[in-house]
Amino acid sequence: MGTLELDGVTKVFPDGDGEIVAVDGVDIEMRDGEFLVVVGPSGCGKSTTLRMVAGLETISSGEIRLAGQRINDVKPQHRDIAMVFQSYALYPHMTVEGNMAFGLEESTDLSDGEIETRVADAAETMGIAELLDRKPADLSGGQRQRVALGRAIVRDPEVFLMDEPLSNLDAKLRSEMRTELQRLQDELDVTTMYVTHDQTEAMTMGDRIAILNAGELQQVATPLECYHEPANRFVAGFIGDPSMNFFPVERDGETLVGDVFDYSLSASTLDDVGDVTDLTLGIRPEDIALAGDSTGDHTFSTVVEVVEPMGDENTVYLRFADAPEGETFIATVGGLQQVSAGDEITVEIPEETVHLFDGTSGEAVHNREIDE
Amino acid sequence: MTRNTDTGDDSGDAVADGGVAEGGQRSGFSPIAALNERFGSDFVESSQFWLPPFLLVGLFVYGAIIWNLLISLTDFRGFGTPDYGDLDLQMYSRALADSGFIDAAINTFILLVGFTLVTLALGLGLAILIDRNIRFENTFRTIYLLPMSLSFVVTAQFWAWMFNFNNGVINIVITSLGLGRVDWIGNPDIVLWAVMFALMWQFAGYAMVVFLAGLRAIPNEHYEAAKVDGASTVRMYWRVIIPQLKGSTISASVVLMVFALKAFDFLYSLVGGYRPPNGADILATKMVREAYANLNWAYASAVAITLFLMTLGIVGPYLYYQYNRGNL
Amino acid sequence: MSNDARTDGGTVTEADPGASAGLLAGIDGYRVLLYLGLLGMLTFFLIPIESGLVTSFKNPSGVSGSLPFAPPTGGTFTFEKWRAAFDALGRGLINSALYAIPATVISALLGSFAAYGITQSDWKQKYKAPVLALFVAGIFIPYQAVLVPLSQFWSMVPLQEWLGFLWALGINNDYAGVVELVVTHVAYGLPICTVLFRSYYKNMSEEMIEAARLDGASIRRIYRRIVLPLSGPMFAVVLIYQFTQIWNDLLFTLVLVQTESSAAAPIVLILAGLGTSLEGQDFALRMAGAFIAALPTLAVYIAFGEEFAEGVAT
Repeated sequence: MGTLELDGVTKVFPDGDGEIVAVDGVDIEMRDGEFLVVVGPSGCGKSTTLRMVAGLETISSGEIRLAGQRINDVKPQHRDIAMVFQSYALYPHMTVEGNMAFGLEESTDLSDGEIETRVADAAETMGIAELLDRKPADLSGGQRQRVALGRAIVRDPEVFLMDEPLSNLDAKLRSEMRTELQRLQDELDVTTMYVTHDQTEAMTMGDRIAILNAGELQQVATPLECYHEPANRFVAGFIGDPSMNFFPVERDGETLVGDVFDYSLSASTLDDVGDVTDLTLGIRPEDIALAGDSTGDHTFSTVVEVVEPMGDENTVYLRFADAPEGETFIATVGGLQQVSAGDEITVEIPEETVHLFDGTSGEAVHNREIDE
Repeated sequence: MTRNTDTGDDSGDAVADGGVAEGGQRSGFSPIAALNERFGSDFVESSQFWLPPFLLVGLFVYGAIIWNLLISLTDFRGFGTPDYGDLDLQMYSRALADSGFIDAAINTFILLVGFTLVTLALGLGLAILIDRNIRFENTFRTIYLLPMSLSFVVTAQFWAWMFNFNNGVINIVITSLGLGRVDWIGNPDIVLWAVMFALMWQFAGYAMVVFLAGLRAIPNEHYEAAKVDGASTVRMYWRVIIPQLKGSTISASVVLMVFALKAFDFLYSLVGGYRPPNGADILATKMVREAYANLNWAYASAVAITLFLMTLGIVGPYLYYQYNRGNL
Repeated sequence: MSNDARTDGGTVTEADPGASAGLLAGIDGYRVLLYLGLLGMLTFFLIPIESGLVTSFKNPSGVSGSLPFAPPTGGTFTFEKWRAAFDALGRGLINSALYAIPATVISALLGSFAAYGITQSDWKQKYKAPVLALFVAGIFIPYQAVLVPLSQFWSMVPLQEWLGFLWALGINNDYAGVVELVVTHVAYGLPICTVLFRSYYKNMSEEMIEAARLDGASIRRIYRRIVLPLSGPMFAVVLIYQFTQIWNDLLFTLVLVQTESSAAAPIVLILAGLGTSLEGQDFALRMAGAFIAALPTLAVYIAFGEEFAEGVAT
């Protein structure tokens, strides 16, 4: 069945005299029917990875296996993979029906009648049955996107590949299609690899997320795991918006010494830290609480620099009282809290919500506690 | 499932989709796989498209040039076949001693440079005029480019008449200005410039089209910025716009020079024979005359090689320039 | 002061000679100059053609006795030269079409093949570049550099024997020259066709071709079903450009057909020697002949000027 395994997959591009490693030893195992979202900043190698799976790029080293079979040297047309492109890549001279039938005509022995039936079914599923006679130029962006999806599902492939398929849609349509794609994937139960740079898509759509940075796989886990138990500082910073605050600290006994603040640790956290002394403390903006007074262990007095009201919540740029101007961190507080620039307020950074990362390698040494 | 493809078996590909070759066994050496490995995954399969045209061009263009080089080293003349047993540079030394050859080479050079410069200048002027937001732009452009669609043979007829001593338009205009008639075709000192003028008439439209494309590619902001900076129109073109036309100028120059090297058709038709008017013999006409009028095949080949080297001297750097800019 | 006048976009029209007022956009004097320039150039480009046209309708006394660009008057007007030119060139029209049309179509098709094979298939740029360089350089080769081998080559090919069945049908065996012209023009026209198609294919959506591959289509099928149907506009450009080039070329016809008295003589070959004799030159006849020879390309140019311009500009 459609299990897809990437085993040490590497892509090296020649570049003048030297080479560029675009994808570096990526290992991913996808079970049949899984929806995996590959996410990362632009240039991280996520599209290259997808294109290697499709067979549009050669694999420099490593192995890609589909249903246990090595497919490194199989040409794209024989991989039984359907792909949805960012530009949709519809054939402009063919009708919607022609576009959808093309893959079946080229890759199967189905009779014209069977092809017609399958195209009609897929069009029904995608809600584009009434568009079958139109050409792509006569369709709206959202309709084209549906045709591109229909063209992929009609082939009933082992694997779907999607390369930022929603990035050309406007915000409203995008969130609609997000839901629809999830429903569709659920229904068809086809192994799907979905590339995006949009972390909302990553968080909401996939069974698991694979996060890539600079060609290297950072973490493969469920969205919530990535959010609450990031494997390293990069993942912690990449997932979540506004992103996690980081403070470089030095461990001194039971205390973390920062530039402008000290932070004491409990015994159990210290166990996690071990003998690492150079650390980074991470705290998500929503975990920073407004404290009534400065009596607690982990309360700090701060100055509000900027407030961005978002309605449901306020994004507040804070600065430790002793820190120089401009050196801010972010907290999100409820939309009804009255905070304004220049206020001096006391905040709490609760110990159960902090993350600690090795200062040099970036590996997580301690993640926040999760309730229940 | 009724799929006719077989994932997992790569060696079947080349055979299954186009029957390119029989090779590609699963085990053992496969020349196709080896070629694809070396040149890229579609090398063999795509060769059915590019290889036949490539061979045709390779044989007719490059094969012929090499053959031509060989013939130029023989003493082949008259009827029969060349004797390739005895190769030397005799034909080239003969060329250097031939004042007709030297004159033709000099004329070729003058024509090349002069024609290219005046045509570029006129073409640029036309392009700027057309680009000034005028009405009937299409009509003007179509008419300026019209001579380019005509055969050299046809334009030679027109200009033979234009340059006619007694009743040609040029002499009529000149005499009406109070000057004396000029024997444009008959005077060996003048004829080359007259030919240059006629060729400019035919190809200025081409230079215009190239420059116009270049001008249109310059963002409007540059014009506006220059205006805001206080430049007059003339200075704006001179300082801001024309320097940006470097690419257009280079491509247009190369093509124009190559046209000039090919001006044979025009000169032949001007007089209806292999012998162009005195003073207008160029390498292109000399080569054909030596070969087909005098049957001096080997000598003609040597002249042809000279002409080829001149072309190479122009086109070589141009191709290198294009290659470096990633346009190949 | 003068700086002010310039920086505000040329709306100030007061006397300011330093600002070369006539050149500022929107000023009437400047527009008048502009159109005068345009019309002057129009005259320059049209006068040889106009002069040729009126002359072709004049009898000998009209040719020598009236201004070359003045239309013929009642007494000097004649169709005689057109009739004579048509008698001389008529067969040439057909002969030219016999090789120009097939050569145009074949070279365009092969050029499209070559460009597709080089551009839209996946092999290493490092090896594509020299192949392409050879095609591009082929555009600029002066034909003189290949003429002698070309004559040798065609004298060695036993075309007369191969085409024996045609001569048996009563076709003049001079027409072997037409076959030679087709092959020759295809070979030497291929480089420009390839380059024109390549520039077009380079701009075709890469993702669309990749989509077709993932849809299971082979390279040949992708060409047949996707690339060829989308090449229409470029075929128009290439066909028009190639037809003009091949129809207009004299050199190959001179070398391969040789004499204007040949049954297979193309129109340019006949025209090149028309109206020139020992007694002097018959300019009216030459002009009429020139127009007849130019008619097909002129018709194509007027009908498809845009495509022609695109062809030459590339």
